[in-house]
Amino acid sequence: MSLDNIDFFELVKRVDTDKMGDFIKYDREKCNGCGLCALVCSFGLWAVKQNKAKLAVRYQELCLECGACAEICEPGAIDFSYPAGGTGVIIEYG
Amino acid sequence: MEKWDVVVVGGGPGGSYAAKTAAEAGLKTVFFERGRKPGDKNSSGCGLGQRWWKDYPELMEELQKLPSVRKVEMVVINLIDEHDRLRYRCGTTGSDLCANRWPHGMDGISIYRKDLDPFLADLAVKAGAELRTSTLVNDVIMENGQVRGVKTEKGESILAEVVIAADGAMSTMAKKSGMRDRWGGGCTLVPQLDFGCNADKMDDIIGNAEWCWFGPLYGTYQVNFRDGFHIGAGQWLRSDWDEKPLEMMKKVVKIPGFQAMCRAVEAKPREYQAHMLPWLKKPPKTYTGGMMLVGDAAGFPCPLEAEGIWHAITSGKIAAETAAWAISRGDASEKALAEYERRWKASDLGKEHEFGPEFVDLWNSSIFDPKLMARQIQLLLEFSMLHPFSIVFDWGDAHMDCFNQHLEHILDLAPEFSEFGKTYVAPLARGIWPKNVKRILLKVKPKIPALRRLSDENFFKVVARLSKGLAPYLDPSIRQDAPVPRDVFERGVRK
Ligand SMILES: Cc1cc2nc3c(=O)[nH]c(=O)nc-3n(C[C@H](O)[C@H](O)[C@H](O)COP(=O)(O)OP(=O)(O)OC[C@H]3O[C@@H](n4cnc5c(N)ncnc54)[C@H](O)[C@@H]3O)c2cc1C
Ligand code: SF4
Ligand code: SF4
Repeated sequence: MSLDNIDFFELVKRVDTDKMGDFIKYDREKCNGCGLCALVCSFGLWAVKQNKAKLAVRYQELCLECGACAEICEPGAIDFSYPAGGTGVIIEYG
Repeated sequence: MEKWDVVVVGGGPGGSYAAKTAAEAGLKTVFFERGRKPGDKNSSGCGLGQRWWKDYPELMEELQKLPSVRKVEMVVINLIDEHDRLRYRCGTTGSDLCANRWPHGMDGISIYRKDLDPFLADLAVKAGAELRTSTLVNDVIMENGQVRGVKTEKGESILAEVVIAADGAMSTMAKKSGMRDRWGGGCTLVPQLDFGCNADKMDDIIGNAEWCWFGPLYGTYQVNFRDGFHIGAGQWLRSDWDEKPLEMMKKVVKIPGFQAMCRAVEAKPREYQAHMLPWLKKPPKTYTGGMMLVGDAAGFPCPLEAEGIWHAITSGKIAAETAAWAISRGDASEKALAEYERRWKASDLGKEHEFGPEFVDLWNSSIFDPKLMARQIQLLLEFSMLHPFSIVFDWGDAHMDCFNQHLEHILDLAPEFSEFGKTYVAPLARGIWPKNVKRILLKVKPKIPALRRLSDENFFKVVARLSKGLAPYLDPSIRQDAPVPRDVFERGVRK
């Protein structure tokens, strides 16, 4: 992998993504369309269209479990918990 | 229903050390970890500084034997300007005079958490605590406003005399108990990119050192392990972000000097992560009825450089000791657990947070301000030329002329920084120990004819009357080897 062209998606390990459950909940009513979730998400899992945010459908397969989207969402439209125990991202080199 | 003396949520450093301490105190203790094993879901702080040798020497003896360890005997700073050019590189090991504080020299270690976290959890298990892995704790049990236990995703309800929440920056326990919702701008997001390398080449080229890459466009640390390193760059999560985290990492890996180092150690990208790291002016309330927060859940990382593992295990230890004390008195109410805050504030952990507001303000207004940072690099480069080893290499003119030109540049640049200095650097002067201020004043005393015959004591009295800035340091009632108390300092400034 060349340093000018790193495939970041390839650099994340996960286990049992099908058993992770729905750990990010979005409340459309509370969303003000500010777009900050889309700005801070490493993998672009949020998009804002017509003043409302939308989370990628199969976000479990790409999410880094960082929680940044929920932390930056001022009106509290994003509720982040963690995926089911024993599933999801494995940090080998952290 | 299951009932324990102490339930610990989280099997990171804070949780494991709390569970170990509680079990050693004879308390029936269980700790929960959502990963398949401790370390699986780590938050990736890997550098342990010199103070570990002072406070946890037995741990350091063992930890340094683990496979991923690289010692830190030097720090190397690379300053990169806005055109990606390496402008300054310096490294230091500290002087031999530091030996009284660093009995082992400047030797911290860097260690991957897949080594550290299981090691610490194992100590807790050996002490008698029970570890339950692959288990997400997703709620608290509340009764009359007091935490009485926790619920797991498997539908279990588990009661405890005391709950210790060591569940990291995004603490579920703090949220569910109503202690807080979000950090409100006090938390950073740290994207981090790990590289696998040739270990022998790392020995030869990087050595036992921690590196960083600083400049107007980035503030990036490089933590070096036995056969790899990672770079990361944190930024407070606020609405003024102008760049996505990945874009920032991509910029850093394009620095030619960084790429040259990568080629030399055969670095290959190996893992990408993103982590939350609380970096606060002041930890919010750290206890409620029946529950104490430790480590990142409490917002304890150092306000100057966000190191937090020492803080996690130190707070874990204090929380478990407080739990033992509370349980022995049969009272874990909110009022009783206020004891936890009293204890950590009186410890080195409290000292660490004394300058929280000043440190965070300083960072916010320097390294995250690209224009100021670019000018700061100019200033630093001028200072670097006055350095005895640099000035001999300035062959532009006669050496005394060179010296004077650098001095002029510094005098030219200085006014730009005076506002910054007044606002952000001057408040840190409170940290200078009074006994050191007195030593400096005594150097000046013989040069002031009107005062030089006074006794030292009377000399200080006169100076205190003449200078409102110096008066706080000369207050006879304060400690000589500690920062001037905030109220004394501010009273002095207002006078
Ligand atoms: C990128 C980065 C670099 C850093 N560098 C350094 C450094 O060089 N030196 C240093 O000292 N510190 C560093 N820190 C800070 C350090 O990592 C943290 O302060 C430290 O790990 C805090 O320990 P903790 O036990 O409080 O929390 P964590 O280490 O976050 O551990 C929390 C544990 O709880 C588990 N958990 C969370 N929620 C639940 C739940 N609901 N149920 C069950 N289990 C749960 C998690 O899986 C995890 O194992 C760094 C932090 C980051 C993000
Ligand atoms: S951050 Fe929150 S409010 Fe802003 S767009 Fe995203 S979901 Fe909506
Ligand atoms: S938790 Fe992190 S990676 Fe996952 S959607 Fe939110 S910001 Fe993106």
